[in-house]
Amino acid sequence: MDGREICNKIKEAIAKISDIDVADITDTASFQDDLGLDSLVLLEISVDIEIQFGLEVHEDDLKQLQTVQDAVEFVQQALLGQV
Amino acid sequence: MQRRIVVTGLGLVTSIGTGREAFWHNLLAGCSGIGPVEAFDTSVYRGGTQGAEVKAFCAADYLVHLDPASMGRASQFATAAARLAIADAQLDVSALDPERAGVSMGTTSGEPNEIERFDDHVVEAHLERIGPEFIASYPCHVIPARVACEVGFAGINMTIPTACAAGNYAIAYAFDVLRSGRADVMLAGGADAFSRITYTGFARLGAIAPDICRPFDRNRKGMIPGEGAAVLVLEPLSQALARGARIYAEVAGYGLSCDAHHITAAHPEGHGAVRAMEKALAHCGMPSDAVSYISAHGTGTPTNDQRETVAVKRVFKEAAYHIPISSIKSMLGHTMGAASAIEAATCALAILHGRIPPTMHLEEPDPECDLDYVPNAAREHTVHVAMNNAYAFGGNNSSVLLKRCEG
Amino acid sequence: MERRVVVTGIGVISALGDSPAALHTALCEGRSSLQPITLFNTDGLVCKQAHALASFTPEIYLGKKNLRALDRTSQLVTAAATLALDQSGWSTEMRRQHEVGLVLGTMFCSVHTISEFDRRGLTLGPNYVSPMDFANTVINAAAGQAAIWHDLRGVNSTIAGGITSGLHALAYATELIRNGQATALLAGGAEELCFESFCGFERAGLLCGARHGAEEFPIPFDARRNGFTLGEGAALLMLEDADLATARGAPVLAEIKGHGSAYDLSRGTASHQAIDAIARAMRLALQDAQMHPGDMACLSASANGSVLTDRHEAQAVAVVCQEGVSHLPVTAVKSMLGETLGASGAMQTVALLAAMRDDVLPGIRHLAQVEEDFPLHRASPSNQQVQVRNGLINSVGLDGNCCALVITQWNGI
Repeated sequence: MDGREICNKIKEAIAKISDIDVADITDTASFQDDLGLDSLVLLEISVDIEIQFGLEVHEDDLKQLQTVQDAVEFVQQALLGQV
Repeated sequence: MQRRIVVTGLGLVTSIGTGREAFWHNLLAGCSGIGPVEAFDTSVYRGGTQGAEVKAFCAADYLVHLDPASMGRASQFATAAARLAIADAQLDVSALDPERAGVSMGTTSGEPNEIERFDDHVVEAHLERIGPEFIASYPCHVIPARVACEVGFAGINMTIPTACAAGNYAIAYAFDVLRSGRADVMLAGGADAFSRITYTGFARLGAIAPDICRPFDRNRKGMIPGEGAAVLVLEPLSQALARGARIYAEVAGYGLSCDAHHITAAHPEGHGAVRAMEKALAHCGMPSDAVSYISAHGTGTPTNDQRETVAVKRVFKEAAYHIPISSIKSMLGHTMGAASAIEAATCALAILHGRIPPTMHLEEPDPECDLDYVPNAAREHTVHVAMNNAYAFGGNNSSVLLKRCEG
Repeated sequence: MERRVVVTGIGVISALGDSPAALHTALCEGRSSLQPITLFNTDGLVCKQAHALASFTPEIYLGKKNLRALDRTSQLVTAAATLALDQSGWSTEMRRQHEVGLVLGTMFCSVHTISEFDRRGLTLGPNYVSPMDFANTVINAAAGQAAIWHDLRGVNSTIAGGITSGLHALAYATELIRNGQATALLAGGAEELCFESFCGFERAGLLCGARHGAEEFPIPFDARRNGFTLGEGAALLMLEDADLATARGAPVLAEIKGHGSAYDLSRGTASHQAIDAIARAMRLALQDAQMHPGDMACLSASANGSVLTDRHEAQAVAVVCQEGVSHLPVTAVKSMLGETLGASGAMQTVALLAAMRDDVLPGIRHLAQVEEDFPLHRASPSNQQVQVRNGLINSVGLDGNCCALVITQWNGI
């Protein structure tokens, strides 16, 4: 799975969970400042990412994920780690 | 002149003891009811292994009329606690007008084991195993209903499922009912049973502490889900005096508010909690410096304890530093809908006995939580007025004030 | 001098309309909302019909954003709150300045959400449950969500009393205003239709049409009745301190004059005890209203087609009203709305308030044959022209809870 695909899946998850249009989610959007997502919504998105990509997002990891780009990189690394 | 309402009996089912005496003794001794969860397998849970379950509880030891097998665990706790409370109050039920005797109970989950069994059948594609007992046993209003049937109270019967503040709401309601003359005695309290659903949810939120509950401690990591019940006998002072009842305390008043902020997180500046405390004080016509002890909500989560401290300081200002405030969740874990009822009972006991329970496991103070949390040891302390605070999901905030009954 | 409590706004989301006028028109036209169920899969269930909301579109009331956080029950409550706040004139700015609270009656709140959350944990594992769903598994979630949405910072409470929840909530709110703990409260009830509760009621043999040959529609009080059908919806009334409401120029629709409740220790199994408890609740409500049975212009019965409870209620009304029972016009809106559980008492109240406008009491759909000793002679399948200057509303639970409410036209004095 390439970065673009991962990014699209993450954006779709955000859109589905937060009612924000996918088109309004940029690759570098900040979860809190740009998208206004609170901790509960972020947790929901992280669970969705776990299920979609078959990986684990621990509490400490989640704290480091501030932007869409962060999430994409996290997933890429996690998937590489599984190979 | 408003009727004065007093507490004359206490019934408790908890992880540190069943019955008022055992509970109070163990509470003051700092006993903990927290340990590895036994009700189900937590080994796959990423976020939790500990719970505060009531061990070796046999409802048949307490119930007289109803068959424990006919009800769920929370109802068993509640009916047992009701029996204990009536006995503790030395209340002669046969002398009561049953139509003017009511029950008001709070809960978070009702009977979760019933819905969990239902879900097991659905997931296993065995719908035919779901019987008529599901709808008869599951809805949360069964709890006060069972209490009523066990003790024979045919008056007002109320269920207030305001989650972690439910006990306080139930007591506040009973207080109002008695004050308005719609009943002569009310059993009021809360009950919750250990729940897979509740545990799984809190674990997923990362809210469960890995080992113990350390309210207000710098290294606190979260709450510990628990279970239990408390029932208080409330009646008018004049009636209590007339029958020579032991009076624990007077219910002075209460305040309720809503954060209207977030479904799981409290308002960052504790606005709702502040308003509940202020409303309670105003309701009783008391200045804040009248309060001599606070029973905290004190769940042990990083955010609750910090925000609660902020709220207490807002209300009490400098005096906050001189009012002891303890969290018994450090010993009992978070008993959900039962919590504030157990804590109200604790306040009543503190007032009667002039002793306050500790906040256990407070080893390293948090600079942001710098009040007197009665660390690690119970204390002699004359309590004239106790404030019992409880906050819930949905932003339900409550403060109930109990005071020493003078005359 | 006790504070008086008035109704200044109504919000209703029902299977027969989302306004009191629409609901009243539908009831007077004898329309039922009973339909084959499409909301969930009915495989494995014998009964296949319910009074679902044909098309509930929360966006109409709440806009498009942030709806994911609200489950169906929360959406129903929040939408009904929108309507009630609009009608009563409690603007966003006013709510910022003054506390408005919410008291919600519900039997289950979101048992569907609870169950889905739990089932996902069973199938995917406990680490993959939905945190947002967990927030909605507490029974006070819907009241909390509506409060967040509408900035309702006053007293927020949830009342669970089975079928009596909604009426209990109205009574609870009334007392809070009378004793000064609140001055403005949205109060009422809500319940969603879902597989979990539907299955539960069917398994208990309480739904009509489960037995071969039995009528598949609810016929309150009728000799052929064999159970109820489930419905859903939300109904909230804005209750206010009368003095404050009139001072702010609010539209005053009616007054909550009295309420009463009792518990039947036989849980419906001993007729005389059940009848006595229902009668007690009614008497207490009348006493609280300082009115007599003979003062009542009409009765909104709780009757939903249940074999025993309908009978108990009818007998209880006769006990309370004595000879006057033969003159008391009776309606039973569950014949068309179905049994909306926690919402039902509030739905009945809204329907009665609507009837006050044109003095028409809806008939009881399909009522054709009654038992020999049926005392409610003015329970009719046809609409009745009645001067609805007041009404007595009953809620009778399946397992002991009884509640009654008296509402009257507001005379301004």
